[in-house]
Amino acid sequence: MHGFYRWSAKWWPGLIPFAILWVASAWFSTPPLEADLTARSADALKSTVLDKTQMTVAGRDVTFAAEAFSEDGRRSAVASVEAVPGVRLVNDATRLVAEAKPFVWVAERDNVRVTLWGTAPLPASKARIAEAAKAALTGTEVLDRMGLKRGAPARFDAAAVLLLDQVAKLKEGKATIMDSNVSIAGMARDLGGREAIAAALKNLPDGFTVAANGVQAPPYVFQANKDPVANTLTLSGYVPDNNVHAAIVAAAGRKFTGEKIVDNLKASIGSPGQFAPAVTAALGALSRLSTGTLTINDRDVKLSGDALYDVAAEQIRAGLAKELPRSWQAQPEITVKPAAAPVDASVCQQLFTQNLTKGRIRFESASASIDADSTGLLDRLVEIAMRCPTTRFDIAGHTDGDGDAAFNQTLSEKRAAAVESYLVKAGLPADRFGTVGYGATQPIADNGTEDGKMQNRRIEFVVRPNP
Amino acid sequence: MTTLVTLLWGWLLGAFVIGFCMGWIAVVYRGPSIPRVWMRWLSVLAVAILAVAAAKLVPGRFGYWLDLGLALFGFYLVGCAIGSWLRDIVVTRQQARFRL
Repeated sequence: MHGFYRWSAKWWPGLIPFAILWVASAWFSTPPLEADLTARSADALKSTVLDKTQMTVAGRDVTFAAEAFSEDGRRSAVASVEAVPGVRLVNDATRLVAEAKPFVWVAERDNVRVTLWGTAPLPASKARIAEAAKAALTGTEVLDRMGLKRGAPARFDAAAVLLLDQVAKLKEGKATIMDSNVSIAGMARDLGGREAIAAALKNLPDGFTVAANGVQAPPYVFQANKDPVANTLTLSGYVPDNNVHAAIVAAAGRKFTGEKIVDNLKASIGSPGQFAPAVTAALGALSRLSTGTLTINDRDVKLSGDALYDVAAEQIRAGLAKELPRSWQAQPEITVKPAAAPVDASVCQQLFTQNLTKGRIRFESASASIDADSTGLLDRLVEIAMRCPTTRFDIAGHTDGDGDAAFNQTLSEKRAAAVESYLVKAGLPADRFGTVGYGATQPIADNGTEDGKMQNRRIEFVVRPNP
Repeated sequence: MTTLVTLLWGWLLGAFVIGFCMGWIAVVYRGPSIPRVWMRWLSVLAVAILAVAAAKLVPGRFGYWLDLGLALFGFYLVGCAIGSWLRDIVVTRQQARFRL
């Protein structure tokens, strides 16, 4: 022992190479050691959910800053870093993520992109929501501006994903979650979208309530275009269902006797109330025009085109608003077609016969009231009469063989008189017309069949040159 | 600790070898010795530095360098002790041979 004590007094010269070794080891070992500790600390935090993690290692001391989503998570993160072999001290600069009050999340859609605002509760739910947005809105740019905060209501993710599906049904608009209140506003992309969104909102997770649903439906559009050159009536746009579809096409068939009907209608929900009566009335007005377009946009009915003569134009302008159901608006833009060149008596007769072969003047059953469906045809007859200024006309009424002969005789006379009255009201002089009723005495077809009877119930125009 | 040894074993071995050589020489070295009083004060100083390191009072890189220095110094002292002890055995045997 004494020897050791004596020798140790002479160990000091070795301290010079020792000092050099120390400096060299400090110089060379520090950077790899720090890199090693950084890597292993980051590895230890892999399974911990943190935001804004920052780690700096100086020597064996780790300065660790991060935002944790719970106190337990924060403590366990610090403990994980402290447990990394080789770490001497952990300077704990961690804190809890701020709590959002109220907790607000917004998905806003404009024409080109969807922007996600507000806050999500965890990085995983933020990623899930952004993914759901990309999946629901394929082809639309998704901008993720979400922050992270605590304080989300339970089942927040499910509610946000459900709302994103609804935002996909909007053309533009906004869905908001404020604590447990959900609100949505905007313009639905398709007809029926508003109803689909309202139905989907009933499936919100428990605890969420719909505070406001301001989704608007896109305009419900119906169009009809009468083209006298192609001799067609083109129907396009929407109808509420197949029954209304069939009814409208049937009404068009009755009103447009001379035109081919091109049916491009599609069925869709979301129609305004009283759609079928409104369309039928508006088609009646269109049938009186030479050329024209009917556009129905929700409850706005716009009718533009040329009437066949002045009185018709006035009647259409004044009558359309009255015929439409209440709360519907009419915008008639009716001009008058320039008068056609006069024709002689034989052409005149030909034109009458042509028109009355293609279509028939309809009356209400066993009555002399002219059916509203026949006004289009009558207007064309008026126009022809106006083109024949030098002629007189006999208007002849015929009935089918059903019923009492005397009744039929009277009915045929009254019906001829009703047609004459229409022509006079249109501005033609009354002295150019004579009326005659033949009852069922001059059938042109077999009264034994329904088709034959229909052909026998008719009005004929006989042109006579003025004496 | 194992991690640190794995990373630093080369430097620690170096300190041990320097210590071993110094211990080997010290037995026959005729140069000046450190006075006893100095030795005592140096021992106190070493204990104090050890206490500072154990209490982790020095932060960051300087703290690491202090720990590193102490670890190297420990290996140096062990090297010195073993070197001196072995040299002493060799010298004693040689002296015994001369006496015969």
